[in-house]
Amino acid sequence: MMNLNKNLVFNIFYNNFFPQTTGLGGSPVAGHASDQIETMVPVKDRIIKVTFNADVHASLHWNFRPQQTEIYVVPGETALAFYKAKNPTDKPVIGISTYNVVPFEAGQYFNKIQCFCFEEQRLNPQEEVDMPVFFFIDPEFAEDPKMAKVDVITLSYTFFEAKEGHKLPVPGYN
Amino acid sequence: MSTAMNFGTKSFQPRPPEKGSFPLDHFGECKAFKEKFMKCLRDNNFENTLCRNESKEYLECRMERQLMAQESLEKLGFKDLMDEKSEAKKNL
Repeated sequence: MMNLNKNLVFNIFYNNFFPQTTGLGGSPVAGHASDQIETMVPVKDRIIKVTFNADVHASLHWNFRPQQTEIYVVPGETALAFYKAKNPTDKPVIGISTYNVVPFEAGQYFNKIQCFCFEEQRLNPQEEVDMPVFFFIDPEFAEDPKMAKVDVITLSYTFFEAKEGHKLPVPGYN
Repeated sequence: MSTAMNFGTKSFQPRPPEKGSFPLDHFGECKAFKEKFMKCLRDNNFENTLCRNESKEYLECRMERQLMAQESLEKLGFKDLMDEKSEAKKNL
């Protein structure tokens, strides 16, 4: 059972490893997502605390951290948050990240509109950059009885080094 | 920091972002807008609702500098801010 889960998660991660062509250059976004964002109504009385974690895999020598420990959002309202990454070495380094949402059941309501994940990011020696995450929590979160007691959602990003021929480890299964 | 995954629980399936990845702002062209936004958060107990103008301005900066694909602000969730603006203009 565990092996099946491991392969499934790895395949999903691996399939998202290849650089995406959506977003940059004006290619169209899935119509339904933009329509949803335009018409969704914030659930103003349902405040959720989103907290942020940052990890790097041992082989990646970046300094990577969130720029805020928490942000308070409501479902149906787009939100912005920042991470920061620095390459303190004297060589360019390419990283690629994945993310995790806890609790697991809240993950389906966590919509990333744009972020820095799943695509290779190159930092030159000594370079430091801001890394934004633009997201929203689906208003349906507020209607799910299983989410009634969920007041805190934690978003974790983990960066790995992207090297040719290097197999990316899957977070949580090492 | 420990990951929260345990054996036996369902595995989380990461999904790619709707609009893909933000290009890196290598030259810090929008850093000032980011700082303005972060200051707003610090001044407002990290309440996103109170800093939406600042987040809109950050994203506008990115779009103006080809650091984000063009998208109408309504489709980025800022329709109410646009409505406020046009209301204010009407009352001038």
